[in-house]
Amino acid sequence: MRPFVYNRASDPTTALNMLSGKPNAKFLAGGTNLLDLMKEDVERPAELVDISGLALTTIKTITSGPNQGGVSIGGLGKNTDAANHPLIRQQYPLLTQAILAGASGQIRNMATNGGNLLQRTRCPYFYEVSMPCNKREPGTGCGALEGINRLHAIFGWSEKCVAVYPSDMAVALAALDAIVKVRNVGGQERAIAFADFHRLPGDTPHQDTNLAPGELITAIELPPSKLADKAYYLKVRDRASYAFALLSVAVGLEMAGNRITQVRIAMGGVAHKPWRALTAEKMLVGKEATEANVRLAAEAEMAAAKPLEHNKFKVELGKRSIVLALQTALNGVG
Amino acid sequence: MQDKNKLTGTPISRIDGIAKVTGKAAYSTDYPVKDLAYAVLFKSTIAAGTILNIDTSVAEKAPGVLAVITHKNAPKLNVNGGLRGGSLLQSPEVEFFGQHIGIVVAETFEQARHASHLISVDYDKKEPKVDFETLAPNAVLPKEKDKADASRGDAKAALSSAAYKVEETYSTPIEHHHPLEPHATIAEWNGDRVTLYNSSQIVNGAQTSAANTLNIKPEQVRIVTPYIGGGFGSKGGQWANLVLTAIAAKQVNRPVKLALTRQQMVNSVGLRQQNLQKVSLAATQDGKLTALAHEITTHAAIKSEFVEPCGDCSKIMYDVPNSLITYRVVPMNVILPTYTRGPGKSTGSFALESAMDELAHKLKMDPIELRIKNEPARDPSNGKPWSSRKAVECLQVGAKAFGWEKRKAEPGQNLQGNYLIGYGVAAGTYPAHQRPTSAVVKLKRTGNEVTATIELAAADLGTGTYTILTQTAADALDLPLTNVTVVIGDSDLPPAAGAVGSVGAASYANAVNDACQKITDELITRSGKQFFARPTASQMMLSEKITEYKTRVDAKPLESAEAYSAHSFNANFAEVAVNRFTGMVRVNRFLAVTGAGTILNPKTARSQIIGGNVWGIGMALTEESILDPRLGNFVTRSFADYHVPSNLDIGDMDAIFIREDDQKANKMGIKGIGEVGIVGVAAAVANAIFNATGKRVRELPITPDKLI
Repeated sequence: MRPFVYNRASDPTTALNMLSGKPNAKFLAGGTNLLDLMKEDVERPAELVDISGLALTTIKTITSGPNQGGVSIGGLGKNTDAANHPLIRQQYPLLTQAILAGASGQIRNMATNGGNLLQRTRCPYFYEVSMPCNKREPGTGCGALEGINRLHAIFGWSEKCVAVYPSDMAVALAALDAIVKVRNVGGQERAIAFADFHRLPGDTPHQDTNLAPGELITAIELPPSKLADKAYYLKVRDRASYAFALLSVAVGLEMAGNRITQVRIAMGGVAHKPWRALTAEKMLVGKEATEANVRLAAEAEMAAAKPLEHNKFKVELGKRSIVLALQTALNGVG
Repeated sequence: MQDKNKLTGTPISRIDGIAKVTGKAAYSTDYPVKDLAYAVLFKSTIAAGTILNIDTSVAEKAPGVLAVITHKNAPKLNVNGGLRGGSLLQSPEVEFFGQHIGIVVAETFEQARHASHLISVDYDKKEPKVDFETLAPNAVLPKEKDKADASRGDAKAALSSAAYKVEETYSTPIEHHHPLEPHATIAEWNGDRVTLYNSSQIVNGAQTSAANTLNIKPEQVRIVTPYIGGGFGSKGGQWANLVLTAIAAKQVNRPVKLALTRQQMVNSVGLRQQNLQKVSLAATQDGKLTALAHEITTHAAIKSEFVEPCGDCSKIMYDVPNSLITYRVVPMNVILPTYTRGPGKSTGSFALESAMDELAHKLKMDPIELRIKNEPARDPSNGKPWSSRKAVECLQVGAKAFGWEKRKAEPGQNLQGNYLIGYGVAAGTYPAHQRPTSAVVKLKRTGNEVTATIELAAADLGTGTYTILTQTAADALDLPLTNVTVVIGDSDLPPAAGAVGSVGAASYANAVNDACQKITDELITRSGKQFFARPTASQMMLSEKITEYKTRVDAKPLESAEAYSAHSFNANFAEVAVNRFTGMVRVNRFLAVTGAGTILNPKTARSQIIGGNVWGIGMALTEESILDPRLGNFVTRSFADYHVPSNLDIGDMDAIFIREDDQKANKMGIKGIGEVGIVGVAAAVANAIFNATGKRVRELPITPDKLI
């Protein structure tokens, strides 16, 4: 950890002003990721603006606008509070399941909702500063591309970066078509569709998201959803808790009898961003929820995968996990 | 020895438990030493080569920095002083990634860490030898004599003509000990004598190795280690960080604290080596073994060698006329492998006991029946009689308690919901030894109350040494537990064995018991009186109105024990549930049945066995340290990547001890339980997974990708 200036902001406007024009300053919220990275010399901010005291923690029903009837979650609310809020538990159980599948109770008590979206990859080549990593230090190469890449991407990677994005919460948010509300120093607000929030690595893997410099996540909005009854977050990992996903699947279904009228499938642990399984979704809408249909859709989705040397298993695991997640969403835990 | 009227054999709670859970127990770096400075180690970022230059000029000028020590300015140390490994900054050579190449000492920890990031190093890099798979074919005979080829009969011939055989290769990965308390030291010089507050499983060993390395006399080094937050072998022999703290303190002329980070632990304090084990079994149709060959290939460090004895279980478990055990080793650019819980036996039993399960399946025989059929009457490796051996009882008692009859012999037949259920069994063993240990007992009478203090340089890894010695002394002196104080973990105390190799309980308790018997004898003799019934030491102190009295014993192992082969034995039973879609495994139930002689405290003993079982389940399912085969760094750097089992991975656990009276092994019949608890566990889990799924995984850990 290098010496840094620490300031505490009392309201969003002050916070945005404090960060303004300082490219090497960062917001500090729960600190569950940023402080670890600073201790390991991966992140080297010159200044931290502590926003953990800002009053952006409310969880409430949206009463007007395009997402009326949905729920808004404060950007600085704690993960634990989001997971356990009655509005979330009742209307978006998929999000509850996904949050509770991540990290540990202690970490979720500290981690914020906005911070969760900004957590950085757990790729070991990113963490070990002596290793090549284009995400940490552009131009140094990708250590994982031809290194140990069992945990890495099978979709959307580039020669520059094969890292995966680690959040569980975000996989559910992708399936729920959430909207990220952000504000800049001028007070202007904008809404970023969840699919556009995180980026694929391309030639600029050091940029994880499309958040502009100096922008603050104020809230995450969930549009009204009819997927609450049939939703499931499946996380496959090397141990039953406190491990990042080998692969995860968030699914939500709306049914008319045995016919699928609406389906959302998002995958974690497979790409640089939450991966919407749009191919599988398209194949399933309007179809009967038979095991054969589900399997066909899963296979079609995974056909586009490009595995690396050590993660070929993720292709088969992805097929099986999509099937199991849909089966469980339809029939309950077996 | 388990007498109803005695305190030994009763499940009392740890006497140090309250101090630990309330934070009152001072571990090595908790000591309130005044005027402390803080040291941080910095590391090589190549795995092989030579340091051409280290530029420390920026770091030296950083705020708070007191000293930067590298091979260029480190004092001359004795590199053969008895430390196990790690760099003492005596040369520019780099032998593995993450090797310590310098120390920064500063006023605060944060300043030292910051300065450590300001050092730049130029290397002459060499191609590291770290890809075990490609190096293994070049492995050669180890230097250690006990790793020479050991052959009885003609195993190869018996195998070639066998009616039934199994010939398979089993692979276990590098593992790390990762005790919860990382290795940490405070060094404080007082003139030419240094006190090292340091986690040490072998108190006197730490003292002599530190002294020899520093080129001073053992009496110039004091080791203080009253509590240890786990060690599992990594705090047995000491590593460079102990002595580096001492030289840092000398250099800045102040006490210095140095605690390794979790990330540094993977390259600083040893590891369990990767093993390839070929096991060949031959048998007759009715399950009588005719040959057992166990051929081990492993790696050591680049310049020094340690080979864990993976063939040990195969030497003694089964009655087989033709046996062959071989070791081959190849040097690698990693830190020296070292003793790791159940060294050799835990990994070796995975291979042997998996192969036994494979053989039972081929023979269509119950795996318990196959083991009982090959029970040896004597130690097959040396012909000695057993001091006692409860292997068969462990299997039989365990089968009944676990409900083994519910196992379906045909694998893959027990589907419940999305889970395939399977049962597995595996046996294990670990040798029982007593080592020389001295102890002082001091009695004090205040009015009508007698209290005792027991002193010896023993270590408590967190396993219950304080508790069992309090129980032992209270029994031997006829005092209540509350009147006995046990003082250990200090090299100023009488020398004792280490808490290693499952010798601690037998060595310490026999010495304490001997000392208490001796003080009783001396008090009786001193009184000049004759007694029909032997009075207790406490009674003598009262009747003779003695205020203070002490004595010392230098206890040695029984010479008569040499004539016997003394070992603990166990049987492990696992029930697993394997998700048929995802391959995730949960251990629903685990039972270990152990015959380990006298159990001094069933509560702390149960905790040790269950702890060993969890380690074994980790070995089976989750634990693996992975090296990048090009660069030689561990990509598994922290508990986020190195997975020890979590509560959710493990269901009901139970431990049963078979009553065993074994005074041939040692006077108190104590055989030790720290190691045997992990032996056979991984095989029981792997065998249960085979029973559940029909998939035989011979490469640990059995992660979900290996089951889909």
